[in-house]
Amino acid sequence: MTDTITPPGTAAPATEAPARGRRPYRGRAGRGWVVGRTALLLAGALLTLFPFYAMVVLSFKPTGPVTFPDSLLPWPFSTEAYDQVIGAKSVLRWMGNTLVYSVVSVVGVLLFASMAGYAFAKKRFPGKETMFWSFLAMLMVPYHVTMIPTFIIISEMNGVDTYWGMIVPTLANAQAVFLMRQFIASLPDSLFEAARLDGCSEWRVYVSIVLPLIKPILATLGVFVFLWHWNDFLWPLIVGQSLDMRTLTTGIASLQQENVPLNMLLAGSVVAFVPIFMAYLIGQRYFQEGVSTTGIKG
Amino acid sequence: MVALPGSQIRRPRRPGTEVRRPRRPSAREAGTALLFVLPFLLLFAIFRFGPAIAGVILGFTDYTIGGETSWTGLENFRRLVDDPTFWSALRVTVIFTALSVPLSMLASLGMALLTRRAFRGAKLFRSIFFLPVVTSLILAGVVFTWVFADGGPWSRAMGALGLPAGSWLADSALVVPALVLVSVWSRFGYGMLILLARLQDVPAELEEAALTDGASAWQRFRFVTLPQLRPALFFVAIIETTVSFQVFDMIYVMTGGGPVRSSYSLVYLLYDQGFKYFDLGYASAVGVALFVMTIVVALIQRLTLGREE
Repeated sequence: MTDTITPPGTAAPATEAPARGRRPYRGRAGRGWVVGRTALLLAGALLTLFPFYAMVVLSFKPTGPVTFPDSLLPWPFSTEAYDQVIGAKSVLRWMGNTLVYSVVSVVGVLLFASMAGYAFAKKRFPGKETMFWSFLAMLMVPYHVTMIPTFIIISEMNGVDTYWGMIVPTLANAQAVFLMRQFIASLPDSLFEAARLDGCSEWRVYVSIVLPLIKPILATLGVFVFLWHWNDFLWPLIVGQSLDMRTLTTGIASLQQENVPLNMLLAGSVVAFVPIFMAYLIGQRYFQEGVSTTGIKG
Repeated sequence: MVALPGSQIRRPRRPGTEVRRPRRPSAREAGTALLFVLPFLLLFAIFRFGPAIAGVILGFTDYTIGGETSWTGLENFRRLVDDPTFWSALRVTVIFTALSVPLSMLASLGMALLTRRAFRGAKLFRSIFFLPVVTSLILAGVVFTWVFADGGPWSRAMGALGLPAGSWLADSALVVPALVLVSVWSRFGYGMLILLARLQDVPAELEEAALTDGASAWQRFRFVTLPQLRPALFFVAIIETTVSFQVFDMIYVMTGGGPVRSSYSLVYLLYDQGFKYFDLGYASAVGVALFVMTIVVALIQRLTLGREE
């Protein structure tokens, strides 16, 4: 069902053949061009991947000075840094915090944004246009302007160093509502009308008609909301001040300020990177299509 | 199942009348719709709309947590203008943006053009180039601190090329270029995907016609492909400028704003003032300055790059 009803420009991945009559230009791939292209791409890929390689290799070094370029060899190999960073430092606790922060936010953003998006796309109510445009206008205001009052509100409500204080403000994601509205608006009205004529309640229509139909946008948006929260830094830095409330990003930054040895710092980084890397491997399609079809910020 | 009030819709007396909707929404329809919007609306009002207005207003007060607050008018802004740290942060931010946006867009464009055709491995290269975009700048910052350290890979490579060796992060003239390189590394994959999506839509006939007319590769790029990419480039420029203006994470990890504030950005100033010295009024004034800058640059870009949009 989700494959038959896809709004324009939201389904076709960048790599698949575009619509008829807009065949991409293939050109003449001369040998010189192919060799040059391959060389440039390989150079680009090496430069892009080098920091990841260094991160992994250096994290498996025993503590102590190893000078470059010898340090880039896989030996001497040691898991000492991992033992220390997981045992003595709170990295696992921080990972738990990051998971809570990311997963709860994904669920909350998707729920509230899809409900609001549905109403904005398919319903009429007073003040609709004004509300919607004020959501969009707020996207212009830099996050840092709203961050200070938001922090004051949260600290007045004793939300500093709590999960809810960290999570709740991030649920007001106007971009998510905007994307939801765009997607739902392109679904035919008849689908909802039929259910309504059958006597379904509005909530029922939302749960059993709207949600299944918007699976593609839920997946795309979900992946990005997860990514934003997993990598978020400034807000968790401000709200999660105690050692136990740090996330992976703020925790690793704090380790770095304690002048922890490089191998431990990088072991922590690898631990923080693996989940998002796995998510990227599995959900690559959603990451890449999300950017190319919605322009959503990476 | 949570049943929303007013959701039991009566069966219409005549089938079909429901389909042709009346001009004005019924009170019941509006009521249910509002219930769907309400949770988001509340969150948005409390944590986005209110704070956006409060953030500007705070700039005109001397708010500190737990202290007395009074209206100080333009005092914060006067202080800002007299504050050499503000001017230096502004300079760092502007130079960083002016270098990183064009460089990252150039890399995006180059990689988009190189991976545009469906050859073997094209997808893999795209995936590799996008990987830094999903990587936290904190992790990247930790690794790049090592990359740029004295005697590390970057200083060795620069030494071999006869360029300034030593730690770029410890050099007040080279620290911003070093940060720019990290920023390009982390961002170009995003612009590449946006441009690739647009490239797929360039009609093949256009380029084939140019080819038949004997246009060189450069001419085809300059007069056929580039004009088609203009809206996408404009979009990327806006996003990247906004991101660059707000640079903070990697500076926090890599340099702490040093050496001697030579990599101290506006958001760093805002963070320090607000959350280290708890001078939230002054921090808000910095936020207002950032807001004004964002608007001004968006307008300039709209007038120059976005002309033909």
